[in-house]
Amino acid sequence: MNMFLHELKAYRKSTITWTLALVSVVIVFLSMFPAISREAEVFKELIMGFPEALRMALGLSVENIGSILEFYSYIFLYISLIGAIQGMNLGASIVSKEIREKTADFLLTKPVTRTKVMTSKLLAALTCLVITNIFYLVAASVMANLVETKAFSMKIFLLLSLTLFFLQLMFLALGIIISVVIPKTKSVLPLSLGTVFAFFIVGALTSTTGDQALRYLTPFKYFDFSYIVKNSSYESSFMIVAIGFITIAIIASYLIYTKRDIHSA
Amino acid sequence: MNVFMREMKANRKALIIWSIGVFLMVASSMVKYAGLQASGQSINDLLVSMPQSLKAIMGMGTFDLSTANGYYGVLFIYLAMLATIHATMLGATIISKEERDKTSEFLFLKPISRSKIITAKLLAAFVNVVIINLVMLVSSILMVQKYNHGEAFIGEITRLMLGMFILQLIFLLIGTALAAISKHPKTAPSHATGILLFTFILSMAIDMNSRIENLKYLTPFKYFDAKNVNSSVGFEPVFVILSASLIVVLLSTTYVFYRKRDLNV
Repeated sequence: MNMFLHELKAYRKSTITWTLALVSVVIVFLSMFPAISREAEVFKELIMGFPEALRMALGLSVENIGSILEFYSYIFLYISLIGAIQGMNLGASIVSKEIREKTADFLLTKPVTRTKVMTSKLLAALTCLVITNIFYLVAASVMANLVETKAFSMKIFLLLSLTLFFLQLMFLALGIIISVVIPKTKSVLPLSLGTVFAFFIVGALTSTTGDQALRYLTPFKYFDFSYIVKNSSYESSFMIVAIGFITIAIIASYLIYTKRDIHSA
Repeated sequence: MNVFMREMKANRKALIIWSIGVFLMVASSMVKYAGLQASGQSINDLLVSMPQSLKAIMGMGTFDLSTANGYYGVLFIYLAMLATIHATMLGATIISKEERDKTSEFLFLKPISRSKIITAKLLAAFVNVVIINLVMLVSSILMVQKYNHGEAFIGEITRLMLGMFILQLIFLLIGTALAAISKHPKTAPSHATGILLFTFILSMAIDMNSRIENLKYLTPFKYFDAKNVNSSVGFEPVFVILSASLIVVLLSTTYVFYRKRDLNV
């Protein structure tokens, strides 16, 4: 419990900063929606004249243009990018920082098992992400209701927003497994930025080839927004892979961490 | 000279990885262009009629996507993001890492002045940034050439890369200045990244909403917009002056503050 509280306190400032960043980004973007939806109405009439195949290629579906859900799916790209960095950064730093800051001797000579250390750290990281997501969800839903005058499905909006949490969890797990495998992580941020952007770019590339198999490679593509909007549910195969990945990564992290050599000062 | 060589060597691996990343990014995006090309001219017709704000959300701006060169303009913003992340990280860590790795006592006990050390480090960072820029330039020219159909483009890409270079310098120096000012140098990379993400998202927001156009002076990403640089507008004097003064101010901040500060040992 002590460790858990200590970690929460250590990450208090960073969680607040990330939460504020996510909340302000979603507020800024959603506040632009009214102007854009007016323009989109005009565009909608235009686009009807174009062949269906072409609209498909661009991922535009007529009924959704100018709706808040469509707009939200677009801006969510930036939000998921920020969220992924937070998750990865948290995962990559929370376990490795003891070695980096030469506090591993202190912590690991206390009468607690390494499994316990790991569990407290994991729980603390999870709590940080949950807090971030609660604030984000509230801000996003309030904002969406303020700017959209027409009725829209709150369920789909929440489903879309919740993908942020799943994405963060995947990157958290990835961050932890990387940080326990690498003997010494000197600087966390370059590592996490590099990884997140690599996946982000892979994601941007798969979106045009339309290759389903490639989508499994990057967490950014596990949640297809047009699918969620259409079916108001997640794609189960991707959910299974995501959950499987998180579970395996976490179990592997426990196994490696309990056995590994800790570099002391 | 020794410090310079040491820094070059320390950053060699990162530089190679980043260069490969840059090349892959350019290459894969242009392959994607080939796919877009295959779907025909009509995409461009559709895009012409699309409202500016919608295109901004989709990250397309006002480029003629039917030409390899116009498509490259879209790619530019992602390349700029990649290059500035590299520059920011490099700037922030090259100054702060001595304290992070507890090597500052070793380095600063040597009979060379702090200004000399900073100069050597800045020069090493500068060379790194130049190399990234050249890799970008060469791989862009090669890849665009492959898909180009007889239009002149080398001049335009060179102009864009010149803008990119100034952008890289600004962010490199934001990193060094923050690391020099900050009492806790460990936090410099994260603060610098915060500024980077903020200015990037601000530039996206400006694209979407013309009412906040006046904020463009706040974000370096808007100083050398691909669509201006390659039109009759060219490099706008006001932004060139603004960048030059930013560079001078940040550079002197780095020197002045680092010379005077207490080092954490």
